[in-house]
Amino acid sequence: MDKTESNMAEKKNRRGFLKYLLSGGLAGFAAITIYPILSFLNPPKQTEVEVTSVVVGKADDMKPGDSKIIRFGNKPVIIIRMDDNNFRALSATCTHLDCTVQYKKDEKIIWCACHNGKYDLFGRNVSGPPPRPLEQYSVVIKKDDLIVSKEA
Amino acid sequence: MNHIPKLKLLILILSLMLIQFAYAGTDQCLNCHQDLGDNPSQQFLEDVHYKAGLSCQNCHGGNEKTDDMEMAMSKSAGFIGVPTLNKISELCAKCHSDSEYMKKYNFKINTGQFENIKESVHGKLAINGRGMIVQCITCHNAHGIKKVNDPRSPVYPTNVPQTCNKCHGNASYMQTYNPSLTVDQLTKYRTSVHGKLNSRGNIKVAECASCHGSHNIFASNDVRSKVYKLNIPSTCSQCHSNKDYMKDFHIPTDQFSKYQMSVHGKAVFEKHDLSAPVCNDCHGNHGATPPGIESISKVCGSCHALNAELFSASPHKKAFDENNYPECETCHGNHEILIAKDQLLGVSKGAICLKCHSENKNQKGYLIAKEMKKLTDSLIVSDSVAKNLIFQAEQKGMDVEEMKFKLREVHQARLEGRTIVHSFDEAKFKEVTTKGFNASEQTITEAKAAINEFYFRRYGLVVAVAVISFLIVILFLYIKKIEKNKTN
Amino acid sequence: MKNKFKKLYEWIDSRVQLEDLVKFMSKKYVPVHSRSIWYYFGGVSLFFFIIQVVTGILLLFYYKGSSDLAYESIHFIMSKVQFGWLIRSIHAWSANLFILSVFIHMFSVFFEKSYRKPREITWITGVFMFFLALAFGFSGYLLPWNELAYFATKVGTDIVGAVPFIGEPLKYFLRGGDDVTGATLSRFFGFHVALFPGIFTFLLIVHLLLVQRQGMSEPLEFKDSEKEEKKTMPFFPNFMLRDLLLWLVVLNILAILAVFFPAELGLKANPLSSAPAGIQPEWYFLFMFQTLKFLPAHVFFIEGEQLGVLLFGLAGLLWLLVPVWDRKSARGQKNRLINYIGIFCVLFIIILTIIGWVLK
Repeated sequence: MDKTESNMAEKKNRRGFLKYLLSGGLAGFAAITIYPILSFLNPPKQTEVEVTSVVVGKADDMKPGDSKIIRFGNKPVIIIRMDDNNFRALSATCTHLDCTVQYKKDEKIIWCACHNGKYDLFGRNVSGPPPRPLEQYSVVIKKDDLIVSKEA
Repeated sequence: MNHIPKLKLLILILSLMLIQFAYAGTDQCLNCHQDLGDNPSQQFLEDVHYKAGLSCQNCHGGNEKTDDMEMAMSKSAGFIGVPTLNKISELCAKCHSDSEYMKKYNFKINTGQFENIKESVHGKLAINGRGMIVQCITCHNAHGIKKVNDPRSPVYPTNVPQTCNKCHGNASYMQTYNPSLTVDQLTKYRTSVHGKLNSRGNIKVAECASCHGSHNIFASNDVRSKVYKLNIPSTCSQCHSNKDYMKDFHIPTDQFSKYQMSVHGKAVFEKHDLSAPVCNDCHGNHGATPPGIESISKVCGSCHALNAELFSASPHKKAFDENNYPECETCHGNHEILIAKDQLLGVSKGAICLKCHSENKNQKGYLIAKEMKKLTDSLIVSDSVAKNLIFQAEQKGMDVEEMKFKLREVHQARLEGRTIVHSFDEAKFKEVTTKGFNASEQTITEAKAAINEFYFRRYGLVVAVAVISFLIVILFLYIKKIEKNKTN
Repeated sequence: MKNKFKKLYEWIDSRVQLEDLVKFMSKKYVPVHSRSIWYYFGGVSLFFFIIQVVTGILLLFYYKGSSDLAYESIHFIMSKVQFGWLIRSIHAWSANLFILSVFIHMFSVFFEKSYRKPREITWITGVFMFFLALAFGFSGYLLPWNELAYFATKVGTDIVGAVPFIGEPLKYFLRGGDDVTGATLSRFFGFHVALFPGIFTFLLIVHLLLVQRQGMSEPLEFKDSEKEEKKTMPFFPNFMLRDLLLWLVVLNILAILAVFFPAELGLKANPLSSAPAGIQPEWYFLFMFQTLKFLPAHVFFIEGEQLGVLLFGLAGLLWLLVPVWDRKSARGQKNRLINYIGIFCVLFIIILTIIGWVLK
């Protein structure tokens, strides 16, 4: 009599224990499933990464005569705001030996400090060692955002 | 006493006969024209062809044995009058391009001149549209042709510059063919060592034909030209590397071999880089002179502008000039310019700074050099650490595009460092290296984060698999229990 | 906890009368015999589908379906979005395993002849879902707009063009033009996330309702046995819990695959570049692709490709209509022919897939 009762009691305890473990397991399962999904839905810091076109900031941030070098994918691109307020974007990798070029405001040329190579503001190589012009990129202004993209 | 008049008569008759014979074998053309007193016949007497036994007839045709003008200059006898345009050179070539014929006179003589001229830039059509720009006689003259090694020949080395200058120094003439060609080559040439020695009679030094060729002259942008950019070093070294030839001039003959090893030489010979300097880029071509001590940095600076500017503004400029050190050359050499390795900087073995600076002498410079080398070395180490971490992250399949871009900045800093070194200013140098360190540190952080993310994924998987497996086991036990209960 | 469930149940029951439904469901049983294990594959396929819908919706939050942004948005998901790599890799692996599972499910049903009366509609909806699964795979493959996808789509739609009469217009319709362009991507995106899920869901509901209403199909031999000899287990909770167990195992496998073999991206599609060497479709199309390659260029008056397409079309149609022409199973008799046909198909598919893989 006692044996069956104690057996029953034991069984009940084991069942309770198992149920306890089951709930624990289900809770853990929920956690490892829900956590990645919620993290996924959380917007990443860099809201947009596009490599065929890059948003490089506000057009108003650049005055005529300003230039800046931005990352386009893994290549540097130089953006210049001309005196007539148009924007020009060119590859910033010198076609001679791959140094990064810069804008020389006073001479109104793009200059490579490594071997004195000079390009005009259309990227054409006009003096010094560079054998080819700089690649062209196109700049579009959408609602004051500067968007640089590769010409097809 | 009766014998003497008889003897005089005999001599007179014999002389007359001799004269008659001589008269009969003479070139009648020459005779007649000499009597006329015209220049060609005068000149022809000094001509090498006359000396070899040729006559007017050999070029002009006709019958040289008769003194009858009409018979001598008749078309039927082959008389062609004064040849014009290409007919002239074709006439010369009739013999001079025939190697069998020329062997009789001179075994070693060249017979390819006419072919060469036709191919060359001088063989192009003149502005009259009917013949080549030059004919043989333009340089060699028509009737008083002397051998090339005859000092009276217009193509004797000391005369060549004048001969070429006849056309090439005439601005209005050259204008009709190539308005952008300069006409000051002779003037410049006379300022050069070659020109000066040449005007003093030295036939060993270079004159126009030595570099440009004589018959096969091509424009300097023609790859066949001896003065085409990539061919210039070998043209100059024709003489300048020949020890025996240069014996009298007491200057080194190792420039070409040194240049071949140099970074400029490698660019020219291995990479065929047309933007690299060859001999004339630093020495000039017609006015060839090695640059003076104070102007060396200007010459190098025509390409290496920033380095030259920095150097000229640095304390080294004054020091070098006072001590008569040739600026750039002192540290970098002139012909054997090798890649400026980082060992050049600093105070350890092989560093060039040690030549003047030491702990006891010129100490300020010594300390600056030491510091700059230390920064350079750290930047290199930082660069390779970053590269290595990026490689590891890439191997693990993580995205490294942005990091590789940032790494460019480190490379750029190292490049800028090697330039800014020429200011010998520690603060400016630090500015550049700091940029590099910032970029490399950022890259290292990002690469480490990527590698950590990789391991996070692995460990995360272990946790997830553990939880799921745990649930599987529990569920299994639960099922077993239910089924046991049901059967019970 | 239990009380809360009870309260909820009573609240719903007082409004829609669940009593009958619950009674009916509790009677549902699953036959237990040597081939019972195949019963699980329907549920496993369903599980994969659910995973696809969930991960697919998550991906939709970041994917951009135009030709200049698609590739970049996937790259963004893989590198910038937290766990983006995981969601995308699971989606990619689950797609393949879904199709594999559907193949197994379909063939096990075929061999068991469970398509016989009264389950003809279940079979037909099932076969259509199978075709849709392949269509899901084909349309989804293009969405990353990478090199492999671009050329695989080009080749695949070219083959569609080989169908006589309707082939060319169909190809034009699929491609959104003459060539594979951004227009193709747009429509494949629409197919993949809207049209196909809609149709599939409808077919799935019919399929599942029928399975619930009719219960699991019993093997033919059960007909001849006594009720007591038939071993069964209740669907709720036994079979369902076991099914759940299998789902958890499958989830484990998916996680492991996603971490160790993450989905690749490759290079962005460039229509101007030439096709990479050895271009071939996904594995589930390989057997058809390889067969077409083996057929000679001309067989009598028909082009080899056309013949291939027609033969596969015919085979598909016969497969779809097997409940109609398999009279023997409808009468409850053993049909060895069906087994032979099934074995032939399985071997054909496996062998040609292997050949196609090896001959890459």
